[in-house]
Amino acid sequence: MSTGSLPAGEIRDPGFPTRSENYLTNSKGILSWLFTLDHKRIGVMYLVGVVAAFAFAGVLALMIRLHLLQPEGALFKGAEANNQYNQVFTLHGAIMVFLFIIPSIPAALGNFLVPVMLGAKDVAFPRMNLSSFYLWVFGAIFFIGALFASGLDTGWTFYTPYSTTTDTSVILATTGAFILGFSSIFTGLNFIVTINTMRPPGMTWFRMPLFLWATYSTSIIQVLATPVLGITLLLLIAERTMHIGIFDPEFNGDPVTFQHFFWFYSHPAVYIMILPAFGVISDLISVHSHKRIFGYRFIAYSSIAIALLGFLVWGHHMFTAGMGSLTTIIFSALTFTVSVPSAIKVFNWLATMYKGSISLTTPMCYAISFIFLFTIGGLTGLHLGTLATDQHLHDTYFVVAHFHYVMVGGTLVAFLGGLFHWWPKMFGKLYSELGGRISCGIIFVGFNLTFLPQFVLGSRGMPRRYATYDPEFAFLHQMSTVGALLLGVGLLCALIVLLHSLFRGKRAPANPWGGATLEWHCTSPPPFYNFERAPIVGDPYDFTPVEWDAENDRYVTVEPEREIVPDKQPETAPAHASGDH
Amino acid sequence: MFANSTTWSLLADYTEEYAWFPEAASTFANDIDWLFWFISIVCLVFFIPIAGALFYFAVKYNKPKGEKAESNTSHNTPLELAWSIGPSFFLVGMFVLGAKSYLDHRTVPDGAYDVGVQAFKWGWTMDYGRGTFHPELHILLDEPTKLSMRSSDVIHSLYVPAFRAKKDIVPGRYNYMWFKPTVASTKVSDQRLQKAKTKMEGLGQGWDYDELQFTPDGYSFFDLYCTEYCGKNHSEMQTVVVVHETLDDLNAWIKKYSKRGPDVDPATYGEALYERRGCAGCHSVDGSKRVGPSFQESYGNQRPLANGESVLADENYIRESILYPKEKVVAGYQPAMPSYKGQLSDDDIYCLIEYLKTVSDYYTPEEPAAEEQASEDATVGADEVEPSEENEEGTDESVD
Repeated sequence: MSTGSLPAGEIRDPGFPTRSENYLTNSKGILSWLFTLDHKRIGVMYLVGVVAAFAFAGVLALMIRLHLLQPEGALFKGAEANNQYNQVFTLHGAIMVFLFIIPSIPAALGNFLVPVMLGAKDVAFPRMNLSSFYLWVFGAIFFIGALFASGLDTGWTFYTPYSTTTDTSVILATTGAFILGFSSIFTGLNFIVTINTMRPPGMTWFRMPLFLWATYSTSIIQVLATPVLGITLLLLIAERTMHIGIFDPEFNGDPVTFQHFFWFYSHPAVYIMILPAFGVISDLISVHSHKRIFGYRFIAYSSIAIALLGFLVWGHHMFTAGMGSLTTIIFSALTFTVSVPSAIKVFNWLATMYKGSISLTTPMCYAISFIFLFTIGGLTGLHLGTLATDQHLHDTYFVVAHFHYVMVGGTLVAFLGGLFHWWPKMFGKLYSELGGRISCGIIFVGFNLTFLPQFVLGSRGMPRRYATYDPEFAFLHQMSTVGALLLGVGLLCALIVLLHSLFRGKRAPANPWGGATLEWHCTSPPPFYNFERAPIVGDPYDFTPVEWDAENDRYVTVEPEREIVPDKQPETAPAHASGDH
Repeated sequence: MFANSTTWSLLADYTEEYAWFPEAASTFANDIDWLFWFISIVCLVFFIPIAGALFYFAVKYNKPKGEKAESNTSHNTPLELAWSIGPSFFLVGMFVLGAKSYLDHRTVPDGAYDVGVQAFKWGWTMDYGRGTFHPELHILLDEPTKLSMRSSDVIHSLYVPAFRAKKDIVPGRYNYMWFKPTVASTKVSDQRLQKAKTKMEGLGQGWDYDELQFTPDGYSFFDLYCTEYCGKNHSEMQTVVVVHETLDDLNAWIKKYSKRGPDVDPATYGEALYERRGCAGCHSVDGSKRVGPSFQESYGNQRPLANGESVLADENYIRESILYPKEKVVAGYQPAMPSYKGQLSDDDIYCLIEYLKTVSDYYTPEEPAAEEQASEDATVGADEVEPSEENEEGTDESVD
């Protein structure tokens, strides 16, 4: 088939944008970026921001691992060594969660993709969209301010009464997280309104790409849960400054109340982090298998189910905190229910690959890694959801390994997969496929080497957040550190491949992978107006008209020849009047 | 070659049970380990086919660009219902087994041996009743043990991996946990203990549990960790559990630490208290700055306070600082110390003050004759105090 012989029919390909159409070049100067209302440019600015935050927190992660190379601590020395370690792991967690994972897919990829995939010209509230980005920047400034003031050593969870009594910059950091919460709410609100009101004719709910379903579910959580975080953090600040007596037992408060408040947001936030990844992977698997997604409705509904069930399971973070037995057991039961929708998705992705026509491109390699790693992350959640085993594993490295498999092996790998998938669309450049696949391989091996040993560390009883540890754990910690360095190399490799493409990459065609969703119907990069007129919406997963055009290295949509105006004039006299019968 | 053989032996270790779990030393351990393996096997039953199919499909259906998929089935409702509902049976199984064994582990049996636990930044004090406190947890083999736990500052969590037991300790309330140890600690030979003691004294850095793997009394032990992040020295908030084989042995150990023997010098006993009761965690004796001020510059020193005043660190000031640590805080330090009210007898405090004198740069022993007089006075004073102090402890106990 790949001989370049396209089936007969009308070939549809938007070609390439002119400089004045291209959203990247249609206006110039730094101000045209800073004050842009174009969702694509805001998405790109978010992308730069979250990648910078990720790089910074990633370096902190490497410092953590290097310190743990030796039982008594290898990197930080002297009387303040433990303090320095505590500050580094706190900032690693806080920056990764608030500045990277939560905004990564929804804000960076989502801002770029939601309107284009939907067939709209922009989001519903472009100004709010820009302000959401600036709130993110302000939040980031507060975090960096905390770092340079007196550090932060509470862990990203700000547990009371430690956080109300420590002399580090808790107020600066919580203010930062509070502001970031609003950034997240603005994005979520924008997407909900956009998806509800701005679908072009023909874009019914069940013709939306699954990425949009995932974004929609995520937005629901962002809008409903984030205010609780805002309130909690404000109460924490009030407790610290005015001793209002809600969280600190010294003033008749209850520290466990804080945990309930905090996890009422932060557990749904886990789904803010992972649901968009499900959406990305659903699209990646389908496009690169060139096959209709299997069980579209089950995947769409399971996203909504996860979003709603995710609100009911926060208590499993407190299984050892001394809640009543009945409460604990109910939370355990609810926790198990949320595992079902996630399992459904894994089976659906596998069924999509079955009898497909798989291209092992870079995004597909990342998607396969995702399924492998996320499955491990999900299954090990069962050990933690089961009450008896959790009594042993709670707050050990087993938990650390579990959530890194979900957050890094899941969200980060999906983010990278999505980035490689939509990179040609965002910047109009093709990257080195070989380089991309190598980066994926290194990340896969490095990641497993880092976190598989941590499961064993946990079951052997190594507590988390330890700056020093007993010598019997040293070997596994060293394995993990070697893995982390390898993971760092892989990530650097991915960054180099992408940056290299900006300068040396081939010009990308409109549809380099053979996708059928709307973003592949506009040029790469898209024009600043996305679509000249409301696009014709088809089935997002119908790949039958998408054909490989080997001559031009691109996929095109081939439609059967249609006679718009028939040549032949109809007879003026009726057939029965001709007298031939 | 050598490195190679080490690697292999390390890998071989992972076929052994102990490579995955610490020693199983309580009645909970078997339940929990069994359930852990059950869940792990169920996970593998799902994971191996998933991963196998993933890579098999990726290779088998890998086709050149432009080739069409062999099938475009959009859904298959019975199949999807099957894989949505099928795994739920395993989930219900895990939930029920987990919850049942959790309830068993939570119900404290009547008449359990009760030990009070006080957690603080960053150490443990176990209360054996009648004024006996020690950082190590000593319990009896095959005897259900209940821990009544409280924290004097932030949230801590008591975790004994060998017992598979863990519970948070929340300030402002009591939390309880229990377990029944099934493996007794062994005792090393006196010879070896003596050798270790000489060695440790030579190093002068306190007892190294990790290196020696037995306590200063010569018992092997199980690790006890704090697993809720509690600040700077969270990772050093560790102690040990010793399981005694007989009640006599346990009582003998408790008696050894119950109070100062008649022939023990107060300063020497004060030094033991300094090590044992957690002072050493925050106060150095060599002038280095830790969380609290060093004892080298304490006794007899005129100290500037955080509120701008200054005070002479005499016996009364030190006594007040032990009982009400937040009253007069030395400038440059946080009011981080928990109160030791009701936990140290008057004699203990007297011994600590005597010890502080010996390490302070600001204390010069008086004329020998006068000192003899003073120490005699003090000893008499201490003797007088003791009976009434014991009464006081007794009432404290009943109030607690």
